[in-house]
Amino acid sequence: MAIIEREIEVMAPMVATPTSTYGVLKRPVAATGWRAWVFTVDHKKLGLMYGVTAMFFFIVGGVEALLIRLQLAAPNGKVLNADLYNQMFTMHATTMVFLFVMPMAAGFANYFIPLQIGARDVAFPRMNALGFWMFLFGGIFINLSWFIGGAADGGWFMYAPNSGPVFSPTHGIDFWAFGLQITGIASLTGAINLIVTVLNMRAPGMTLMKMPIFTWMMTVVQFLLLFAVPVITVALFLLSFQRNFGARFFDVAAGADPLLWQHLFWIFGHPEVYILVLPSFGIVSEVLPVFSRKPLFGYPFVVFSGAAIGFVGWGVWAHHMFASGLGPVSVAVFSLTTMAIAVPTGVKIINWILTMWGGKLVFSTAMKFSIGLIVLFTVGGLSGVTHSVAPSDTQQTDTYYIVAHFHYVLFGGGVLGIFSGLYYWWPKMFGKMLNERLGNWNFWLMVIGMNLTFGPMHILGLQGQPRRMYQFTEARSGEGLFNFAFWNLVASIGSFVLTIGILLFLINVVITARNPTKSPLDPWNSRSLEWMTSNPPKEHNFDVIPTVHHLDEFFHRKYEEDPATHTMRQIATAEEIMAEQERNADAHIHMPSPSYWPIVLAFGLPVITFGMIFSHLIAVFGAVIVFFAAFGWALEPSTAPASDFETNNSAPSTALDTVGKS
Amino acid sequence: MNHSAKHLYLKRLVTSVLRMVGKKSQTLFGVSLLSFIAASCATNAPQDTWQPKGPNAKLIDDLQQPVFAVAGVIGLIVAVAVIYSVLKYKDRGQPIPEQTHGKPALEITLTIIPALILAVVAVFTFGAIFKLAKTDDTEMIINVTGQQWWWEYDYPVQNEFGITQPIISSGQLVMPVGTKVLLRETSRDVIHSYWIPALNGKRDAVPGRIQTLRLEADKPGIFAGQCTEFCGLSHANMRMEAVALSKADFAKWVANQQAAYVAPEKDSLAQQGEAVFLNQCVRCHQVNGLMRADGTPAIAAPDENVWAGAAPNLTHLMSRNTFAGASFDLLSKQCRDEVWNASSDTIGAKYLAGVSQDCLNQKDLRSWLRNAPEMKPMYANPTQLEATGGKYRGMPYLALSEDDISKLVAYLLTLK
Amino acid sequence: MTDTTAHGHTSSTGISNVKLGMWTFLGSECLLFGGLISTYMLYRGRVTGGPRPSQIFDIPFTSVSSFVLLMSSLTMVLAVSAAHKGEDRKTNLWLTVTALLGATFVGGQVYEFTAFYNEGLGFSTSLFGSSFYTLTGFHGVHVTVGIIMLMSLVGIFKRSEVPGKKAEVVEMIGLYWHFVDIVWIIIFTLVYLIPV
Repeated sequence: MAIIEREIEVMAPMVATPTSTYGVLKRPVAATGWRAWVFTVDHKKLGLMYGVTAMFFFIVGGVEALLIRLQLAAPNGKVLNADLYNQMFTMHATTMVFLFVMPMAAGFANYFIPLQIGARDVAFPRMNALGFWMFLFGGIFINLSWFIGGAADGGWFMYAPNSGPVFSPTHGIDFWAFGLQITGIASLTGAINLIVTVLNMRAPGMTLMKMPIFTWMMTVVQFLLLFAVPVITVALFLLSFQRNFGARFFDVAAGADPLLWQHLFWIFGHPEVYILVLPSFGIVSEVLPVFSRKPLFGYPFVVFSGAAIGFVGWGVWAHHMFASGLGPVSVAVFSLTTMAIAVPTGVKIINWILTMWGGKLVFSTAMKFSIGLIVLFTVGGLSGVTHSVAPSDTQQTDTYYIVAHFHYVLFGGGVLGIFSGLYYWWPKMFGKMLNERLGNWNFWLMVIGMNLTFGPMHILGLQGQPRRMYQFTEARSGEGLFNFAFWNLVASIGSFVLTIGILLFLINVVITARNPTKSPLDPWNSRSLEWMTSNPPKEHNFDVIPTVHHLDEFFHRKYEEDPATHTMRQIATAEEIMAEQERNADAHIHMPSPSYWPIVLAFGLPVITFGMIFSHLIAVFGAVIVFFAAFGWALEPSTAPASDFETNNSAPSTALDTVGKS
Repeated sequence: MNHSAKHLYLKRLVTSVLRMVGKKSQTLFGVSLLSFIAASCATNAPQDTWQPKGPNAKLIDDLQQPVFAVAGVIGLIVAVAVIYSVLKYKDRGQPIPEQTHGKPALEITLTIIPALILAVVAVFTFGAIFKLAKTDDTEMIINVTGQQWWWEYDYPVQNEFGITQPIISSGQLVMPVGTKVLLRETSRDVIHSYWIPALNGKRDAVPGRIQTLRLEADKPGIFAGQCTEFCGLSHANMRMEAVALSKADFAKWVANQQAAYVAPEKDSLAQQGEAVFLNQCVRCHQVNGLMRADGTPAIAAPDENVWAGAAPNLTHLMSRNTFAGASFDLLSKQCRDEVWNASSDTIGAKYLAGVSQDCLNQKDLRSWLRNAPEMKPMYANPTQLEATGGKYRGMPYLALSEDDISKLVAYLLTLK
Repeated sequence: MTDTTAHGHTSSTGISNVKLGMWTFLGSECLLFGGLISTYMLYRGRVTGGPRPSQIFDIPFTSVSSFVLLMSSLTMVLAVSAAHKGEDRKTNLWLTVTALLGATFVGGQVYEFTAFYNEGLGFSTSLFGSSFYTLTGFHGVHVTVGIIMLMSLVGIFKRSEVPGKKAEVVEMIGLYWHFVDIVWIIIFTLVYLIPV
């Protein structure tokens, strides 16, 4: 592993690079240009790459959504045929869940967890890079199917036996299953990496109960991923083995039980819902205190309710199957657990409101998105509670009411949180602030658009419009003005308003990139460690690893309580704290070098799966790539001889190894 | 339904409330509130989940009404609390507040209150779950089998209802009112779901399993439904209708279903149609009592041609109002409306009249016979049959001449 | 070099990153095998005309190969202990022996699969066949990956210095190896010993 070293100077640390590469299989050194990104193992660069890729897939999934809404804008829509429509809603959900929200959360986690806990990188930097490339290649692999005979058409839930080779003869589901397998491994490596990072690499003094809430929520998510991903892995293997190698797992003629798939899928699928929303809960729990100028109300309650959601989330999966015929006892039990999980979720909402209560509220765009989340997620949460009433759920399940429900949860909860995070952390990531005026428009158009799109779906569902229908007919639409056709049209118009809102964000990004104005060091008067460094952070994050004494450490370095009045008094500015750190900067900061192998290894996987579908010879070729890359990885030197560095050798080489070795 | 006066009043109420809560929150609030009000101004959509027409659906409705109301009130409280704090605690230059970390007593109280509310909901939910799962009070059994993309109804012998030989039908489920009917559901291919919202919630039809669903209608009527488990290409076209008849009318229906086959008149167009039917359709579609020219009974062999192994039995096709998995009406628009809009005491007679020549929806039926896959997406194109070993999923294109189609239509009209 | 946290030497838990990472990974693996075992338990009696489990299992043979795999856990322990003492030659010896025992087990599994196939149990024969081969196959792949890791370790140790980390890496792979053995004990009990 390469070493960045410097002599003690008054200035900020400089990056020293080895004069030559070393080892039998050489690692790239001080790469520039595109190599700086492709071979990087830096958690911040990888975080950004996750974010950009997720945004790209957000647009892809959004276009799919718009096509769906165009098709359903009027009765007997003709924009898409049945086959294409089925592919469209399958891929819309798959893209949004696996290729947008999950990697976007992974991006935030990658970028901000090390910064929030005062670490210089994650525990396994190369594995981190591997995770990103597997996600990217997996996502591309799934979408390749559009061009090779058609995409998956069984719905993202891919219920057996409809996903079998007889009922879906194209290769779409093969691509889907293998592609998700690859992104699943990516999530798993990410989860292991971040769990170890959080458990092992916290700054001195940062006990678990002083950890920033975003890091806490992301840690819960990583544990959910750790245990949920292998379950879908099993399900996907069963599916692939049936489709590609003649196994009988879902073949009813052989005595198979189609409910096996449903159980496996939802044992993964329900924790997955929390995997999608808890990151946003974490973001909101960061943003609300900052812009209320108050600590998060009931921090331990929020932490424990997050953990409780994580636990109880494992015991509610069958509420997706109330109509499947589980028998009244199971239905009653899962009904009860589903009601139970509403309690910790409610705790979070109450705490957010109480955080604002009595505060000094500043309505930045980030804050607006967070407040919007509280209200809109509550709508989704409450409609969720109506589903826990199993008999009522048998009326509403598989209707548009459910579509409304989970879009309020995942868009109102998940996506608004993500946008809140983007506005909040943009100056941290890029050193420039997004335009707040455009941000205001962005917020309102998104909120109005989403309510117009998903609000009417409550009505459509309650009036009996089932989901996943490529057309609805006038005969079942009802009478008068407010019939299906009306509400579907409203939803379709809403989806375009929503699109304009999201386009404004992209415009904002471009405008901000062109604007030379730099952001102040601490633009929001923030509270946690990630703001205790430059914007954007240096490669090594912190000049000196802070010792933590408080929850909201950064805030408490800036402010002190007046014991008489209990009001807060500023004792230092961010700039002063920064300057202080630079004066005391660490002498030897060792960052891991870039590596060729993560991208090579990740590339081998889709080659293998492509071969599994079309020709086993290609699969062998892919396996050779993976094998070769794994060996290159293992043999890659982790330490360089000290003589490789220009600077004086002040430390023995054995001590130089470092932030992480994967 | 005359809702307009009430609607106007509510609208005015909402606008004035909105004016009070302030400009910024209007959209957030307005949309959700208006949605709710609009939902209450129902439009007689045939699959409305809030208009129960039988005791099972009523049981669900009685449970969901208060739950929705409570959820609505809680939602309102949250929205008001958020809006209040936004207005009240806006930064007006006040000092940075005390850094309080929470009040455990308050937190615990606010945790327990929702838990208690949910506990109450749970008690009523449990009661309903077990009531809806009861099967020991069943008065009548109907077997329902899903197949891509239609439903088959099979009435086992039940002498108390005059069913002395099994009745096999499709498209419309006919049942007597005031009778506890138990559907025994299964599927021949993928998972489907049976749902008549006016009578009960949905229950999946899972291949390899038999699952039950209680249905009971209070009054005669026709109730719409739709397959609600995604079942492939034509999922959207897999509909069903439940027809509840008075007990007397139901007995007439049973008698008609069991009536012997009446061959078309000699030398009529319909008789030529029978020949076309024997030549083409009987490969899959059974008509009970139909004889071949050589005097042997014509037995359909759908298992040789259809992947899932069955095709709708057409013996009394014209006693139904729909065809092709209830995707299309057999009745012309005008005649259909007459049946659907009939009062509960006349609907039975109108339904039992069946489809007459004048009322036949010639256009759709002829198009269907001309090229079925064009009317309804199906895996019935010869190029799509590799995975199923050459068997069809749905009715294929039969290359019938216009002449043959006219003959067939004439013949089908005799299947009363 | 006073602030050691800057270099990641200290860890908040006191367990090294690699070891904690392996523990975490094994936690995930539990669910993977849990899913596969559940599938097998659901389907083991569904034979649709193919051979039943009791007709093809050769308990004495599998018992012997299971014993071989269990012994490899013992040699793995010896390897870890030698690595901690810094005895390179012994470490290499025990790692090699462990890998050989593992290879014997995998060889036995290949023999067993061939025998079952010849007795009429193919991958597509029945639900029992599909789920049996999938479960035991997944385990076999895990053992094989373990063997590759062990042999690679031996190779790497021979050719280069792995400063200060050797014992750590051996221990980490040891964790994996023991886990795979424990899983086999569960599989052997549930699949072979408990009658359908």
